[in-house]
Amino acid sequence: MGAADAKEGHRPYNLVAELTYRCPLRCIYCSNPLNHREVPDALDGGAWTRAFREAASLGVVHVGLTGGEPTLHPDLPDIVSGAAEAGHYVHLVTAGTTLDGPRLAALHERGLRSVQLSIQDASEAEADEVAGTRSHTKKLAFARQVTDLGLPLTLNAVLHRGNLARVPEIIALARRLGARHLELANAQYHGWALRNRASLLPSAAQLEEAASAVEHARGEADGPEILFVLPDYFSDRPKPCMGGWGRRILVMTPEGRVLPCHDAGEIAGLEFWRYPERSLEACWESSPGILAFRGEDWMQAPCRTCPERERDFGGCRCQAFRLTGDAAAADPACSLAPGHAIVRDARREATVEAPVPVYRGDARSLNR
Amino acid sequence: MTVATPAEFEARLRAIGDARYHHRHPFNVRMHEGTLRPEEIRTWVANRYYYQTRIPIKDGLILAKAQDPAFRRDWIGRIHDHDGAREGEGGLELWLALADAVGLDRERVASQCDVLPGVRRACDAYVDFVASHDLLESVASSLTELFAGDIMLTRIAAFEAHYPWVAIEGLRYFQSRTRQAPADAAFGLAYVTREARTREDQDRCAGALERKCEILWSLLDAVDSAHARPRLAADAIPRLDDAEPMVVLSERAVKLGGSGREILTLCDGTRSAVEIVAELSERHPGESHLVEDVHGFIDEMAGLSVLILEH
Ligand code: SF4
Ligand code: SF4
Repeated sequence: MGAADAKEGHRPYNLVAELTYRCPLRCIYCSNPLNHREVPDALDGGAWTRAFREAASLGVVHVGLTGGEPTLHPDLPDIVSGAAEAGHYVHLVTAGTTLDGPRLAALHERGLRSVQLSIQDASEAEADEVAGTRSHTKKLAFARQVTDLGLPLTLNAVLHRGNLARVPEIIALARRLGARHLELANAQYHGWALRNRASLLPSAAQLEEAASAVEHARGEADGPEILFVLPDYFSDRPKPCMGGWGRRILVMTPEGRVLPCHDAGEIAGLEFWRYPERSLEACWESSPGILAFRGEDWMQAPCRTCPERERDFGGCRCQAFRLTGDAAAADPACSLAPGHAIVRDARREATVEAPVPVYRGDARSLNR
Repeated sequence: MTVATPAEFEARLRAIGDARYHHRHPFNVRMHEGTLRPEEIRTWVANRYYYQTRIPIKDGLILAKAQDPAFRRDWIGRIHDHDGAREGEGGLELWLALADAVGLDRERVASQCDVLPGVRRACDAYVDFVASHDLLESVASSLTELFAGDIMLTRIAAFEAHYPWVAIEGLRYFQSRTRQAPADAAFGLAYVTREARTREDQDRCAGALERKCEILWSLLDAVDSAHARPRLAADAIPRLDDAEPMVVLSERAVKLGGSGREILTLCDGTRSAVEIVAELSERHPGESHLVEDVHGFIDEMAGLSVLILEH
């Protein structure tokens, strides 16, 4: 099934199902769109279930239920069953403050296979400061419920200037909680994180120190597997964003829009189709927005002739758009990109004193 | 940091052994408690032989780095210990006698055809380490000998008490090492404590000894996992009939090559890796890479959380 009709090198293995943008937390680096309040939860359990079935025939094998806080979707149990019955690996990405033990166990029975829990820092005061709510203690209790059920636990911490120094403590916490994976994700400057970039961007020295703490921890037995990727603002080449635009990963927003990444809806002028107005296959194969940057035809100099384009696909379109105004430009994170000076200048922000960040949802941040 | 006194430095090296030497490895712990099954002992003997064959090569590399005739005169004795003065003598020969005593075919052991890929990797890593580091670090990496005398005594007692089916003549290698290891270790320790003149030198020596402990540890990991029974992780979803056969997990999908797909179907928690090799060699007589393919695949999949190894 599925892969047989994977077309010309693009098969969506993952469906990222953003069930709702609602969330009780207000993280200063949240990557949800700034207008998240205006996006309705348009799909009910039945619609998601049908989407999962169509996804299976496109080649999807893994469904990540995310948001916002996906557990706020009222049909979550049916959504989990629907994904499991379509044959997918069902993975829940949550902030861990909304589900109690029995509800989690019920989801497990319906076919939930693993859980990713976000934490903001290693200890309560700092973590709650970033989340803008009291949540850290609840999260720790939730982590235990996950491992008690025998579900693999991934801990995800977004790293930034304010918590990078505590990477060793975060690793120790992951170990204590019995996490199988620890994702140390450097903040991606989208959404609220871009708005707060000047408070979040770390210095190169901070990153180096964190990297060596990670190296040290990797040498120790029985710890979690640690994923740590340097932010692309600090490397000379961009990330192969999403494994290539419209190539490996299919994102569905709460209103059913099919995107190549969770941020692509922010690029002005691109038209993405909505499920179930059109079939999932049509949204993935033929929507103008997805076709705009699938493959290499859209590339300009220097990407068009660059030997590295097969590895990084020219980098992140969203970042190119946001920083240069042209979504078809080379990702400015690349040192060969005409727009690279923008990123070089941004690195300097890390050397000035941090302004007060705004929380997700704060009104004053909306008139960006 | 300032340079440590020779006594402090020695204490630091000994502490590394206390914490990381393979006397703590679960496989050795079980060996010494007497709970290993005969096939586990045999796998260990056949594989550890490969380590023995690397030792004189490693010592030859060390010799080639030494400028001092007195150093070479002493160190060359290690090669004689291993290879003997003539055919039929020396440590390698004694190890083959151990192979006889545990019921292995010595020709087969000497041919190294059953060496597990993880064991080969670990032993080759040791030779590579010595080849690519200076004399001081190379000698420091040999200092696991400081702890070898004790483990040999424990081992002799354990074999006598728990594995009476192993003929006593087989233990002569261990007995010879209880004499050689302390003398070798004293020479190496004196050299290292004398020549590591700066804090940085001492750190390099400590690092070399840690690396060596890791290598010995991973050798036993490989032996240990050969008899564990692999089964699919509870959360994993195998998709063997997909056009791209794979196993799906929470954070990744692992694609399977042709042989991987077949091996995976046998990983049902009832067979050990060794038994899977046996089963596949019946199915595919003449297939030469089965040992490497099966153990390599199972180790890799265990590392990726696709397979769980049950003892
Ligand atoms: S980043 Fe924070 S605020 Fe945004 S969805 Fe996740 S938990 Fe909620
Ligand atoms: S020029 Fe374009 S394709 Fe080449 S490395 Fe930079 S972003 Fe990648």
